[in-house]
Amino acid sequence: MFKFLKNNKEYIIAAPCNGKIVGIEEVPDPVFAEKMVGDGFAIIPSSKDILSPVDGEVIQIFPTHHAICLKSVDGLEIIVHIGIDTVELKGQGFICHTSVGASISTGDLLLSFTPEILEVNGKNPITPVVITNKEIIKSLDVQKGTVNAKEAGAKISLL
Amino acid sequence: MREVIIKNQTGLHARPASQLVMECKKFTSEITLTRGENTANAKSIMSIMAMAIMGGDKISVSAEGSDADAAVESIATFLESLED
Repeated sequence: MFKFLKNNKEYIIAAPCNGKIVGIEEVPDPVFAEKMVGDGFAIIPSSKDILSPVDGEVIQIFPTHHAICLKSVDGLEIIVHIGIDTVELKGQGFICHTSVGASISTGDLLLSFTPEILEVNGKNPITPVVITNKEIIKSLDVQKGTVNAKEAGAKISLL
Repeated sequence: MREVIIKNQTGLHARPASQLVMECKKFTSEITLTRGENTANAKSIMSIMAMAIMGGDKISVSAEGSDADAAVESIATFLESLED
C-alpha cells in the first residue's frame, strides 16, 4: 500500500506591526469577533507602521486608508483593518504607502496611522488581520503574545 | 434588477459589507452588484470591499437563480436602509 504524502506545508502570516497578538474573538466588535469578515487574529499595536503580513499583491485600499485588502501568493485573501470603527475618522492620521496592484513582500510598509488621533477620538486601535476565504484553511494556529513586526502572527496550513 | 443609491457617507465598509454577505447567503441565487463597469459577487466580502463602494454611489443589484427576484428585492432594500 502506498501512502501518499499530504501537503502539510505551514505558512506564516506575519505580525503587521509591533504589539500583542490576541485571538480574533477578543476584538470588541462582533463583525470581527464572530468571524463575520473571516478568521485570523488581531494585534494590539505598539508601533504605528503597518507592514505586509504576506508576500503577494495589493487588491484594494480603502479610500480612508484605514484598511487594506491583500492576496497572498498562496491564495489567501487578507484584510488588515486598523482599529475599530476607524472608517469614521475619514482618513485623519492615516497614510498610504503603497498602491492597488502593487507586488508586496512580507514586511513591506503598507499603511501608517497616528495613535494619538485614534485615542483622542475614542477609537480602539486593535487591528484584526483576517482571512476572508477561510474555506481554504485547514488549520490556523495563532501565536498569541508580544511580538515584533514581521515575526509570526499565525501559522496556517491549507486544504 | 434594481438600482439603489448608497446613502450612508461611509459606504460599504467592514460592518455593512459583512451584513450584506450574511443577507445574500440566505438566497441560493448568484447576486451581483454593479457600479459602472465594475461588478462584485455580493457573497464575497473581499469582492465587495474591493469595489470600495462609497456614499453617493449608484449600484445595480441583479441576481440569477431560483430565488432571484426575492434576492434582488431583499438586497436592494438592505442597501437603501443603510445609514451612518
